[in-house]
Amino acid sequence: MSAQTEPTTDQVDYTEQELLSDVSCVEPLIANGVRCHGGFDEDGQYRSPRTRFRTPAITAWQRQLEHQGHDLLQISPDLIPPTHPSVAQAKLLLTNGAREPIVRALTIISIVEGFGAMIRDVKVPNLRERVADPIDGTALDHLTQGLFEAHARDESGYRDEGGHKQMWEAARDAALENPKIPGDVLMRLMGRRGRRGGAQPLFPEIGEPLERMLGLMANVLVVEVIAEETFEWGISLLSDPSVSAAPDAAGAMIAHIRADEKPHVEYLRTALSEVRARDLKTIDGKILPGRAVIDGLLHRTLREITRNRPREQREDIREGLEAQVAHTPNARALLEEFDALESSWTPPETTGFEPRDAA
Amino acid sequence: MQLATRVHRTLQVGRTAAIIWLSYKVPSTTRKLLGRPPADVATMSARHERTAERVLGLALSMRGVMIKMCQAIATRADVFPREFIERLKQCHDAVPAKSFERVRAVVEADLGKPLDAIFLEFEPTPVAAASLAQVHLARLQDGREVAVKVQYPDIDDIIRTDLRNMQRICRVYEFFDPQPLELLPLLQELTTHLGFELDFQREAACAKRVRDLFADDTQVKIPEVYEEWSGERTLVMERVDGIKITEKDAIVEAGLDPAHVVQDLMHIYVRMILAAGFFQADPHPGNLFVTPEGRIIVIDFGLSKELPEGFGLGLFELMFSLMTFNESAMVRAFEELGFRSKTGDPNTFLLLARRMVSRSDSGSFEGEFTEQMTDELFEAIREDPVAEVPSDFVLVARVFSFLSGIAHTLGSRANVLQAMGATGN
Repeated sequence: MSAQTEPTTDQVDYTEQELLSDVSCVEPLIANGVRCHGGFDEDGQYRSPRTRFRTPAITAWQRQLEHQGHDLLQISPDLIPPTHPSVAQAKLLLTNGAREPIVRALTIISIVEGFGAMIRDVKVPNLRERVADPIDGTALDHLTQGLFEAHARDESGYRDEGGHKQMWEAARDAALENPKIPGDVLMRLMGRRGRRGGAQPLFPEIGEPLERMLGLMANVLVVEVIAEETFEWGISLLSDPSVSAAPDAAGAMIAHIRADEKPHVEYLRTALSEVRARDLKTIDGKILPGRAVIDGLLHRTLREITRNRPREQREDIREGLEAQVAHTPNARALLEEFDALESSWTPPETTGFEPRDAA
Repeated sequence: MQLATRVHRTLQVGRTAAIIWLSYKVPSTTRKLLGRPPADVATMSARHERTAERVLGLALSMRGVMIKMCQAIATRADVFPREFIERLKQCHDAVPAKSFERVRAVVEADLGKPLDAIFLEFEPTPVAAASLAQVHLARLQDGREVAVKVQYPDIDDIIRTDLRNMQRICRVYEFFDPQPLELLPLLQELTTHLGFELDFQREAACAKRVRDLFADDTQVKIPEVYEEWSGERTLVMERVDGIKITEKDAIVEAGLDPAHVVQDLMHIYVRMILAAGFFQADPHPGNLFVTPEGRIIVIDFGLSKELPEGFGLGLFELMFSLMTFNESAMVRAFEELGFRSKTGDPNTFLLLARRMVSRSDSGSFEGEFTEQMTDELFEAIREDPVAEVPSDFVLVARVFSFLSGIAHTLGSRANVLQAMGATGN
């Protein structure tokens, strides 16, 4: 680690209890009859859950990193693929009664949000042994001290407070008036995500547990960044009164989720940047720059997701659509119009995290 | 089956049932008459233990349906005490094989041709023998190596006799006992499942369905059934060889990681149950193998089951609510899955959910935690049997219990979300 300077005066150590504690709200968030996390302050402003200390803590860790002369890693917005179907395509389907593909897409989003709970099951190796430089007072040092748990609770809900899973469901049900959920939702989800075997290790020298943890964090960060486009899509679609039965409520719900996700993006990029600014110990006691590891993992994840995700989404939607409209009289015209609204997107040649020869 | 055999089986079952009933009834009635409190937990546990031992002994001596009955009891932690579950879990259905001549007679009658006209070679000693059928290795005339599953000649008759006997005993027991364990529904379920297992044409169709489901999955191997050579009591299948899934040392020796095997196995069952709504419901270690390349082989589709529409999603929601301690979502999931309150009290599931959420501060999707929550759920239902558990749920829980046992043996645990392909958000 280089450019060590005087520490900042910000508080950088927090207890788990602090990182899980809420700001005070005067009104709970009720979504389509379901009590959700977060709530509204006296000014009627939405306040995300578990942010009383988490937000200032992340800011402090980021300031500290900057103060030490290191950059926060940044994923270029150019790498974010458009959501498929586009808002225009989705509206076309909904206004023509082809609701199933959109209901399925919204349901899959809600389930994938819930999958976020698995971050609490990540096996975190002893980072004080595996990172060559000190990690006191960093986001890295707080992953198992509230950051992962807060993330898990935000996504899947906790006890009787719904999380993002339930909030997406509520937005779907309010906007589309409690639609019937297609029976093939989990099959579609697993069909795409169910490939097993995992990625081959890129850095076997740091050991499987550490690479697995960092790889998962890199993957979740990329998914969270890409989700920004999904929020935009969801808000545009479900707050349009021509297709939504509850434009205000449904749009606002997704805006709340978007606000809740910000701390996830920030703590993950902070913690990964902290690793990037340090050296890692290999299992045989040698030193490997953290930057090489993090960039390698991010590069692989970004390349895979930007190349595969748009194609997978297109195939999923097209397959479901053809099956649903097959027996309707205007099927052909609808499919043609749908295809005409297709936007082309080509992933950038570079990810910004290309492995360096020197590494 | 001869009349003497029928009478003998009837008497054996009747005698054991009477002894068991008296072993519970006499002490409790005596205590009541003497004004003593009910027997304590340790006494009851010892009594359950003795009874379970007796039932197991009977099953092992009678084989046939009794073995199946014990296996069914061992899956009902919501109905039977823990001692029964633990003891009867040991009830495996390996039985002495029938003679080759009897097997030959079944195959020839079923397929309408002499054995030699179909098979170039037919191994007279079976490679496996279970309660309903046995399996021989053979080679078809065109050289393909096959496994031939042949139903026992008199199995229909044995099953009918045993089921009739058990039905009579259950009725007598329910007549004498004012608060009986609900054995008749269990028996009905067993009858249905035995019907599935004896219908080889259904089994062939089920195997094909699962084979189609995994057609594009290079990690799974479902042997093909050669329908042109199969009949009502004979199934001729592609021969597949692999390491038995519980043989950890052999798996490691083959260069495979047992943790990956467990995760792959969990993926297969999660895909069948949650996503496809159709599954092979008998994943005991004798039906699962691993190829040296790491492909999981699944055989024996006799007990395969179609789940009602929406059941997979309902089950996913229940698992999710259990792992996140979401009381209201749990109640909704119980109702969607077909759990019913016996008392009609709308609070039944709320109370059940409260018990579940009170047990920990933070959930997990790791195998061990999932198992603990399932055990806790069944225990809660058994201790306060106000909820009626849908039979499909019981069957699915049985599958996960088998998988958990295999995972234990391989020294690994599966994560349900990972098995679904989750990477988090």
